[in-house]
Amino acid sequence: MASPGSVRQSQRRFAYSVMTPIMLYLMLFSLIPLIWAIILGFFDYSPARVGGTLFGLGDSNPFIGIKNYVDLFSDSQPATVFRKSVVNTFLFTFLIVPLNLAITLPLAIIIERSHTRVKGFFRAVYFLPTVTSAVAVALIWGAIYNPQAGLLSDLIRTIGLTPPKAWLSDPQAFVMGIPLAMLALIVAHLWQDFGYNLVIFIAALQGIPQNLRDAAKVDGANEQQMFWYVTLPLLQPTLLFVCVMTILSSLQMFILAQVMTKGGPREQTQTILMSIYQNAFRYQNMGWAAAMSFVLFGIIMVFTLLQFRFLRSDWEY
Amino acid sequence: MVAQSRTNYSYLIGAVLRYAVLGIGLSVTLLPFVYVILSSLKTPSEIIQIPPTLFPKVPTWQNYTTIFNDPKVPLGLFFFNSSFVAIARVAVTLFTSSLAGYIFARYEFGGKGLMFAVIMAQIMIPFQMIMIPLYLILVKLQLIDTLWGLIIPAMIDAFGIFMMRQFIEGIPRELIDAGRMDGASEFQIYRSLILPQLSAPLATLGIFTFMATWNDYLWPLIVITTHEKRTLPLLLTWYSSNHGSRPSLTMAASVIVLIPIVLIYILFQRQIVANAATTGFK
Repeated sequence: MASPGSVRQSQRRFAYSVMTPIMLYLMLFSLIPLIWAIILGFFDYSPARVGGTLFGLGDSNPFIGIKNYVDLFSDSQPATVFRKSVVNTFLFTFLIVPLNLAITLPLAIIIERSHTRVKGFFRAVYFLPTVTSAVAVALIWGAIYNPQAGLLSDLIRTIGLTPPKAWLSDPQAFVMGIPLAMLALIVAHLWQDFGYNLVIFIAALQGIPQNLRDAAKVDGANEQQMFWYVTLPLLQPTLLFVCVMTILSSLQMFILAQVMTKGGPREQTQTILMSIYQNAFRYQNMGWAAAMSFVLFGIIMVFTLLQFRFLRSDWEY
Repeated sequence: MVAQSRTNYSYLIGAVLRYAVLGIGLSVTLLPFVYVILSSLKTPSEIIQIPPTLFPKVPTWQNYTTIFNDPKVPLGLFFFNSSFVAIARVAVTLFTSSLAGYIFARYEFGGKGLMFAVIMAQIMIPFQMIMIPLYLILVKLQLIDTLWGLIIPAMIDAFGIFMMRQFIEGIPRELIDAGRMDGASEFQIYRSLILPQLSAPLATLGIFTFMATWNDYLWPLIVITTHEKRTLPLLLTWYSSNHGSRPSLTMAASVIVLIPIVLIYILFQRQIVANAATTGFK
């Protein structure tokens, strides 16, 4: 039998032979791109121009300091569109989160109380939209929102009301100051997305020990009191997690807006990620787009750190 | 007695209300699916008819046969593209996640903590932050406009490694020691003692990787430029913008793209729903 020392050495060799390629790979496909993205934000870089030897930076792709960031505040048309996309993305996110919770939390409580077989069935159906291709979802909802032949306008006409003349393309249409096209996107997004939070809430509700509810019942709590004083406080960590995850995914909204509205009408549904994509890959203005992606990264980081801060406490019951 | 019957009565109302809410939710969830299927069975004139119909007057397969016979839409090729990328990414992800997860769970070596931190940091870096340099690297590697360009940047999955490590930590050490006693090499221990125990987490990771890849849109949109190399979501947007005046065709194309993923969901529904809350799928 081999000596323990040589066994340990062969184990170490195995570990390093696996980890070395993985680390080199991560360097090439994560670390270098991350640093490169930060550097790009300080250059006027376009892949269409031949620049210096190192990463094509320098020469005709000159270093311009923080001009890319300053230009985000300029009066130029693309800068105006970018700022509009930031406002849209925030508006979008802060509408999505409460609406999502208002649907998923009550629905989760109802499902959790149902019989096991019924529970499995509803959970499975409600989760179905989350696994379907977002592009297909965008096309289907695009057809639903068709002003003449679409399902929604037809339903509204059937109950005797007049539908708006266009759901996705009328720049004058607002509901309580929010562009109608954005609300239409939000509804489609909620439809595709709610199953995910629903499943998380159901799992969390199942984790609440029955004896806590029994104790509350013995103390004479009614259903409402039970919800506000027992269920909700115990759900708090899950609520925070769900909020942050929903915020993060909404901040990176792309497919539905890209396919359903192309950011229109009049950039009312343009998102940050669409601005980054257009400036980088359509206008080849990659330095500026890198600056934009760093702004989005910063916004995302703030929410991610908030999550870590709030979720650090371990709950026990 | 009176109180008793009132409790029953209010319980009954509660139950009715609950099922009403569940039923409304069910119809709202299913209606778009029903709508796309019914629309795909309408004739081109019926789908733009005003007032619109919900059920096709005379259901027809003609939209599907039009797509199947369109020489510009070799469906087999696009299904191959999507399947090739998805299967390759699943295979590579399962291999690297289980192997690295095993190393982190059961080996001691210098720099282990740092390496694990580096891998977990991937979760914090949103894809949109690195997509521009990643594109430039693929240009250098001449992988732009290839299917490999969709596979190679996604070979390491931090979540997968984390998940596998958690699971492997639950496998008794005695098993590995016994393997060493029998003179098995380290890789053989991984291959024939560890891997067979991982079928449940590997299946979960595989399903989620497959679905995410199958539905991926932004990165293929950046990387793929040739029509023949498009994946199904790219084909779908291209097809719809080329047949804007014939929505019934777009609806049929959407159904064709949805069928495989819905079938996979029906097959693995239990596993997918049960694990969605824990795997960070999104």
